[in-house]
Amino acid sequence: MSTTMRKKTQVSFVIREEEERRHKNGVSSLQLDPIQGRLYSAGRDGIIRVWNTATGVQDRYIQSMEHHTDWVNDIVLCCGGKNLISASSDTTVKVWNAPKGFCMSTLRTHKDYVRTLAYAKDKEQVASAGLDRAIFLWDVNTLTALTASNNTVTTSSLVGNKESIYSLAMNPPGTILVSGSTEKVLRVWDPRNCSRLMKLKGHADNVKALVVSQDGSQCVSGSSDGTIKLWSLSQQRCVSTIRVHSEAVWALLATENFTHIISGGRDRLVIITELRNPDNFMIVCEETAPILKLCFTADQQGVWVSTSESDIRCWKLPPRNSLSSDMYSQSNYNTNNVYQTQPTHHIPGGPAIKHYTVLNDKRHILTKDTNNEVALYDVLKACKVEDLGEVDFDEEVKKRFKMVYVPNWFNVDLKTGMLTIHLGQDETDCLSAWVSAKEAGLTTENDQKVNFGALLLQALLEHWNHPNRVNEAGMKVIGNNFFSVPLHTPLIFSEVGGRTLYRLQVGDAAGDNERNLLIETVPSWVVEVAVEMSAPNLNKLPFYLLPHSSCQSKQDRQKKDRLVANDFIQCRKVAEHVVEKIVGSGDANGASAGSGKGSATEDSGNDAPEERVELLCCDQVLDPNMDLRTVRHFIWKSNVEFTLHYRVLKQ
Amino acid sequence: MSICQDLGLNFQQRMGANISQLERDIGSEQFPPNEHYFGLVNFGNTCYSNSVLQALYFCRPFREKVLEYKAKNKRTKETLLTCLADLFYSIATQKKKVGSIAPKKFIARLRKEKEEFDNYMQQDAHEFLNFLINHINEIILAERNQSTLKIQKNTPENVTCNGTLPQNTEPTWVHEIFQGTLTSETRCLNCETVSSKDEHFFDLQVDVGQNTSITHCLKCFSDTETLCNDNKFKCDHCSSYQEAQKRMRVKKLPLILALHLKRFKYMEQYNRHIKVSHRVVFPLELRLFNTSDDAVNPDRLYDLVAVVVHCGSGPNRGHYISIVKSHGFWLLFDDDMVDKIDASAIEDFYGLTSDIQKSSETGYILFYQSRDASC
Repeated sequence: MSTTMRKKTQVSFVIREEEERRHKNGVSSLQLDPIQGRLYSAGRDGIIRVWNTATGVQDRYIQSMEHHTDWVNDIVLCCGGKNLISASSDTTVKVWNAPKGFCMSTLRTHKDYVRTLAYAKDKEQVASAGLDRAIFLWDVNTLTALTASNNTVTTSSLVGNKESIYSLAMNPPGTILVSGSTEKVLRVWDPRNCSRLMKLKGHADNVKALVVSQDGSQCVSGSSDGTIKLWSLSQQRCVSTIRVHSEAVWALLATENFTHIISGGRDRLVIITELRNPDNFMIVCEETAPILKLCFTADQQGVWVSTSESDIRCWKLPPRNSLSSDMYSQSNYNTNNVYQTQPTHHIPGGPAIKHYTVLNDKRHILTKDTNNEVALYDVLKACKVEDLGEVDFDEEVKKRFKMVYVPNWFNVDLKTGMLTIHLGQDETDCLSAWVSAKEAGLTTENDQKVNFGALLLQALLEHWNHPNRVNEAGMKVIGNNFFSVPLHTPLIFSEVGGRTLYRLQVGDAAGDNERNLLIETVPSWVVEVAVEMSAPNLNKLPFYLLPHSSCQSKQDRQKKDRLVANDFIQCRKVAEHVVEKIVGSGDANGASAGSGKGSATEDSGNDAPEERVELLCCDQVLDPNMDLRTVRHFIWKSNVEFTLHYRVLKQ
Repeated sequence: MSICQDLGLNFQQRMGANISQLERDIGSEQFPPNEHYFGLVNFGNTCYSNSVLQALYFCRPFREKVLEYKAKNKRTKETLLTCLADLFYSIATQKKKVGSIAPKKFIARLRKEKEEFDNYMQQDAHEFLNFLINHINEIILAERNQSTLKIQKNTPENVTCNGTLPQNTEPTWVHEIFQGTLTSETRCLNCETVSSKDEHFFDLQVDVGQNTSITHCLKCFSDTETLCNDNKFKCDHCSSYQEAQKRMRVKKLPLILALHLKRFKYMEQYNRHIKVSHRVVFPLELRLFNTSDDAVNPDRLYDLVAVVVHCGSGPNRGHYISIVKSHGFWLLFDDDMVDKIDASAIEDFYGLTSDIQKSSETGYILFYQSRDASC
C-alpha cells in the first residue's frame, strides 16, 4: 500500500529437516575461535555452522546459525569471538551473536552478491565487497549496538572499482585495504581517510584471494591465472611471482610473521611456500574438490581446509624449516610427494541435491544428490516422502509417469543444495493448478476441487495472526482444513529474481513482531487467498464439440459448438452434457449454453453417461476419467481450436 | 542512383548505349567466354532483391549448384528455388553477353512466399538474403525427405516413437557453401568451469565502429562479454546464477563467408532505425583471427567476391546496388545497369569518416570466398 512502484514479491520456502547438522553444499569460509576452540563454517547451503574442535570429540556439531537465504560467501569473527559478520549472495551482510548463534541485524546496503569481507582487528573494523563493485567499511561496535528502534548506520564507501570484487584484505591496524577484482588489478586504499593509494597491475585474470602483512608493507595475491604474487606496497611493485599451482588460486593464508604462504585452489592441492625463496615449497595435502578457504588451527601447526564439497578437514602442516630439504618440493605433482595423506580431523558433510524432475502431477519432485541417492518430495506438504537410495534416477522418473497434465505453479531452485521452491510470481501463475481433492488424496468426497497454490499458501501462513483472519460468521479461520506444513519450514519473501525482503520460519509467524513485518511484506493477492480464504479464479478452457464422422444419427448438425469449461473437468462431465443436451433431449440449441460447470443433473437415465456416449479427440477414444487439460496437452497437443468429438453408443 | 524510383521504364533507351559501353570497357578479347553480365529490372523497390541475387550469382560455388539443381530437376512444382534456378539459367544461357533481364517470376513467387515482401516497399537486403538462403535450404531438405519417405514407405519402423522422421543430418549444398560453426565458450567466474556450445550460422553479423576494419569488427565480435547483474549465467556446476565470461569464436569456417555489417541501429530517442555510415575498411583478402583453438580450418584465406552496397540514409529508404568480382575485374550492378569499375573505386564504399552526412553508399553485406573453394 505504501509504495506504488514496488517490484513483485516472490514467496519461496525450503524443504528440509528441522535440524540440518551437516553442510549440504560447499563451504566458502572458515573462522576459528582459538579460545573457545570453536570453528565457524560458512555454507553454500545458506547456513553457518559451529563446530567443537577439541580432540577426541565424536560429534563436533554445536549449532547452526540460520538466516541467510543464499550462499554464505564469507565470515569474520570479531570482538574476541563475541560477534560474527557474514556476507551472502542474498546481497546482505549480517551481524551475529556468535556464542548464542542468533542474527542481531541485517545490512542491506549492497545491491548484488556480497562475496568477501576483510577485518582490521585492532580497530574492530570490517569491510564488505562484492559484485556491485562497492566496498563498505563498517564499525563493528556500531553494528552490534543496533536495535530495532536505533537501526540507522552510516558507512564509508571506497569507490573506484570498475568491476566485480572477489577478494578483500586489511591489515590488523586498518591502515591498508586491498581489493581484487575481475579487472585483474589490485586496488589499494587507506581506509582511515578512504583515499586511493595505488593500483597494481600484473595478474592476467581475476584476483580471488588476498592477504596483507601486519605493517601493511606487503601483500600476497592469488589469481585465477594460477599464480601467486608477492607485492611490495611501499615500492608499489610485484616482488615475485610464485607458480606452484597448475590452476586458479582461490585461498591464501600467511604465517604470522609473513615468512610462508599456504595456498589452495582449483587443483585441489594445499601448498606451503617460503615467500622469500619460492623454490622451497611443499604439497601439504590433496583435497577431493577445489579449495575455497584455509584457516589455521589454534596452535598454527595445522590447517583447516574447506572445499566446494561439504566436508571440512584438518591437515598437519610440515615444520617450516623442513621445506628447504626439498624432499617434497619437486615441481611435478605426484601424490607420492604429498606431505600428509590422512587428515588429522574430519567434519563430514552431507550430500547436495544436484538434479530434480517435477513429476506430471506438479506436486511431487524426484531428486538425485551428490551421493547418487534418489529421493521423492511432496511440494504441497513441504516434506520428503521417501528415500529411494542409490537407484536409477531416470528409471524412477519413468516409473512414476502419469498421463495427467497440471499447469505449473512453482519453480525449483537447487542453489543451496536443498530444495527451494519459488511459488508462481502472481495469482495467475501461482493459483493455476486446480485438482480434484479426491485425486490428490486429501479427501474421500467426490466433486471437491482444490487449488495447490492456495492450499500451500494457507498452510505456510497458517500461524500468521492477521486481523482479517475471520470468516463471515466472525469465526477465526486457520489453515486449509487438510494439512499443515512443518513448523521449521523457512518461508522467504523476496523481490522477483533478487533481494530477500524477509525470512522467517512458518511456526514463528504467530509472534507480534513477525505479524507486523508480514503485514508490510506479504503481497495483497496472497493475503486474499491465504488469510481471507477467497477462492482463486478457475481456469476456463474453450473447446469445440462435434459429432464424430462415424456418428450417422445427427449428420445434419455440423455446426461447431464452442463450449467453455473448467480445465480440470473430466471427460465424463462432457459426456453427461452430450447425453443431456444433445442426444437425450434432442434440443438442437442446448449445446451452446454454459455447460460442463458440474451442473449436470444425476437423473440422466440408468446408464452412466460414458456408457451411452464416448468422446474422441484426434480419433482416439478418451478415458472418461481424463480431464480436459490432459486431453489437450497429451492428445490434441496444441493450444488452439481444441476440438472433441462424440459418438453415441446407445440411445 | 540515390533514390529508388527507377522502375526500369526507360531502360530500353538506355540499354543500347550501356551495353556497348560495357563491352567496350572490357574489350572483346578480354571478355570472358561463357560469362554474361545482365542487369536485373527493378519492379518497384526490388533493388534489395536484385543486389543480393547478383552477388549470389557471382558466388561461383552457389551459381554452379543452382544451375546443377536446374539441370537435375526438370519437372517439379514451382518453388522459390526453381524460380531462382530458372533466373540463373536464363542469364547463363543468354546469346548476348550483356543486357538486362526481368526477374518477374522470381519476384512474383517471393511475394507469394513471404508476406513481408508482398508490397512495394524497400526491404532490408540482409533480411532477404537470410530468408532466401534458409528457404532454399528448407526446400532442399523437404525434397530430400520426400524422396527418402518414398524409399522407406514400406518400413514403418523407421518412424520414431514421437511420430517424426529420423532427422537426415547430411548437409545440403547450401550448408556446404554458406554454413560455418560458431562456438560460444562460457566460463563461470565462481567455479571457473568452461562450458561450450556450438551453433551454426549462414552469415556473421558484426557491429561497426568508426574508422575501423572488418578484422577489427570481427575481433570485437569475439571479445569477451561479462554476464553480470540481472544477466547472470545459470551455472550447472554451481546450480545457481553466477557471473560468467562469454565469447564467441569461429570453429568451422564456411566456404563462402557472408558478413553482415550492422549498419541499422535502433535509436530509442528517435523511435526508429538510424543508418550508421561509419567507415569500415574491407580488404580484398581476409583471414580470420577469431577462430577457436579447436577450429577445423582456421587458416582459410578468403577473397572478396561480392558486396551488397546500401545507398541512402535509412533501412526503408534508399537504394541497393552490388559490386562483384568476375574473372579478375570488378563490375557494378545497379538494377538493370552494369558498369565496369576500377578495384580502387571499392574504397568509395567503405563509409564516411564524419558523422555529419546522413546519406552514404556503404558496404552492407560482404561475400568472401575461400581460396581453396574447389572451382
